Amino acid sequence: MTTVTQTGKLPAERRGGFSKKLSGIIEPYLYVSPALVLIIAVMLMPLILGLSYAFRDIRILNPFSGGFVGTAHFEALISDQAFLGALANTAWWTFGSLLFQFGLGLILALLLNRQFLGRRMVQALVFLPWAVPTFLSGLNWAWMFNPVVGPLPHWMTSLGLMAEPFNILSDPDLAMWGPIIANIWFGIPFFAITMLAALQSIPKELYEAASIDGATTRQQFISITLPFLAPTIAITLMLRTIWIANFADLIVVMTNGGPADSTQIVASYIFTQAFRRLDFGYASAIAAVLLVLLLAYALSVIALRRAMTHADS
Amino acid sequence: MASIQIANARKSYGAVDVLHGIDLNISDGEFIVLVGPSGCGKSTLLRMIAGLEDITSGDISIAGNVVNDLQPKDRDIAMVFQSYALYPHMSVAENMSYALTLRKTAKEKISDAISGVAEILGLTALLERRPKALSGGQRQRVAMGRAIVRKPQAFLFDEPLSNLDARLREQMRTEIRKLHHRLGATSVYVTHDQIEAMTMADRIVAMHDGIIQQVGSPVEIYDKPANIFVASFIGSPAMNFLKGSYEISDDNGAGVRLSDGALVPVLQAQNAQNNQAVTLGSRPEHISIVSDADNGLPAKVELIEPMGLSTLVHVTLAGKPIKIFTMDRPNYPVDSFIHIAFDMAKAHVFDTSSEQRLPPTTEPHSGHKD
Ligand SMILES: Nc1ncnc2c1ncn2[C@@H]1O[C@H](COP(=O)(O)OP(=O)(O)O)[C@@H](O)[C@H]1O
Ligand SMILES: [Mg+2]
Repeated sequence: MTTVTQTGKLPAERRGGFSKKLSGIIEPYLYVSPALVLIIAVMLMPLILGLSYAFRDIRILNPFSGGFVGTAHFEALISDQAFLGALANTAWWTFGSLLFQFGLGLILALLLNRQFLGRRMVQALVFLPWAVPTFLSGLNWAWMFNPVVGPLPHWMTSLGLMAEPFNILSDPDLAMWGPIIANIWFGIPFFAITMLAALQSIPKELYEAASIDGATTRQQFISITLPFLAPTIAITLMLRTIWIANFADLIVVMTNGGPADSTQIVASYIFTQAFRRLDFGYASAIAAVLLVLLLAYALSVIALRRAMTHADS
Repeated sequence: MASIQIANARKSYGAVDVLHGIDLNISDGEFIVLVGPSGCGKSTLLRMIAGLEDITSGDISIAGNVVNDLQPKDRDIAMVFQSYALYPHMSVAENMSYALTLRKTAKEKISDAISGVAEILGLTALLERRPKALSGGQRQRVAMGRAIVRKPQAFLFDEPLSNLDARLREQMRTEIRKLHHRLGATSVYVTHDQIEAMTMADRIVAMHDGIIQQVGSPVEIYDKPANIFVASFIGSPAMNFLKGSYEISDDNGAGVRLSDGALVPVLQAQNAQNNQAVTLGSRPEHISIVSDADNGLPAKVELIEPMGLSTLVHVTLAGKPIKIFTMDRPNYPVDSFIHIAFDMAKAHVFDTSSEQRLPPTTEPHSGHKD
């Protein structure tokens, strides 16, 4: 009896079980779908659209443009001397700024991590460059390098660094140092603050134990401070590299890529192509190349870091 | 190994005086426990010995040399921290060998020392691990190992067991004592736990508010507390206190008259005047429950607290709560009346205003001054 009723019921049950299973699989996606739609609309759509421009002929002043041109832009890029020069300048700009921002920021953080009178005041002041609008600081620095209105060339002359006051921004060999110095000034607070936060999370007892064990300040820095800072250093260096490589504001304001493209970086070159030559398609192609290069950089840093932590443990 | 002398050492943070003139002589090989409630300045004193805090005034000498101006590394001491302070990016072996490596000790010597100490502490299998892969008890051992490997003149411990659970703490207490027997090194051990102090110390230094209250062997401190603070801090369950006035009777006997008029006979106290305001102190195990009303004072039962081995009977006497320790298993109903009697020879008389103990005339004058 029981077996009969059971077999009679089975198919229905099985069907119920299957659709239950299916809805069980679908259900979570239904819950997250609003968020997914939002992310796709806000983050992915513009990216895909922007990338698609790279394969189209989009010139604002040409009403007949808009057609699909395939990889023509990319082919043009390979032999575009201005682009290749901008690539080299990007590396110089990025790593020149980054190295000094990081080094000086770390030193500042180590100083701020000591106990001294008025420490809170100084800590607040260190934030300041960060709070100044970039265009304003760009203008400021441009003026400071200008011998007519700014003091820097005169100071450098008195220090013997210059034969006579001149504007380094108009010297193709030196011009890049102008925006780099402005960028260093602008970026030190970021490293000082993140490094300070990391420093303050190191337990004091470790230094006390090390000082009893006989470690000098330098040895304590190497065996305690650096290992503690390493993860923060790795992540901030990576983020800042990408950030600086994309950061054309100071260059556009101070030199506009000149003189003779000597300060043109890829990001400012994109700006020039898009808003001066109004060739959005070509600008998008350059942006796509930059995106790929930075992605490759980020992935290799992450891989390197993973390899290092694996070797560690 | 070395003796440690502390002479009139003071410590202030700005206007706040944390230690008020500490005098203490620690003999070579002694195990000293600094005990007191938290905030009384134990760690500060220990850190001054280590060289981690400046000495505001006074002198600290190790092995006869004043070390006031020496760096921690030049004092040849080792310290075990409450948080263990293990270097998180080094393995157990590297943690233990760090000091030796810095001193440029030969590699074979280091590995010999490490394996010897790891053997003693049962760390041999853990040498390659990082601290974060260890349990609390194992980290504690590594911290101990790191101190031992260096063969320092003195060991300093700052509440090394407070982060362990009760059972492990008990086990480590005996282990540290055994290690001390084996190594014989001068040790200064800070704790707020009076049981640790009682069980581990050669001599206890009881501290309160930056002042040493009493120095003595555990038994001395327990049996002859210098004042009400020491009497109440050491011992668990804590000593009972009853305020009253001192009375000398005609037959040269003495007693403490309680607020409800009852008289508790005590041994005659040194320097105690008739009618002097005193505080009677009696440990729970020195009060007995008696059956006949003639020999005991009536007290109301508040609570019976079984503790396994023994039972704690909470009563009220003269309006004050009193705890009585008994090995019996009483089952008096709450609110019933029982009769209790104080062990006359074991009762303490304290001067109420100075809180100092007034020792019985039968006790030899102790020349000991803290
Ligand atoms: N750096 C400091 N600045 C000001 N006061 C301090 C400092 N360190 C400790 N103190 C004070 O000194 C007293 C003793 O501290 P401590 O020695 O750590 O006590 P314990 O170890 O006995 O708990 C406490 O009241 C504490 O607030
Ligand atoms: Mg403490």
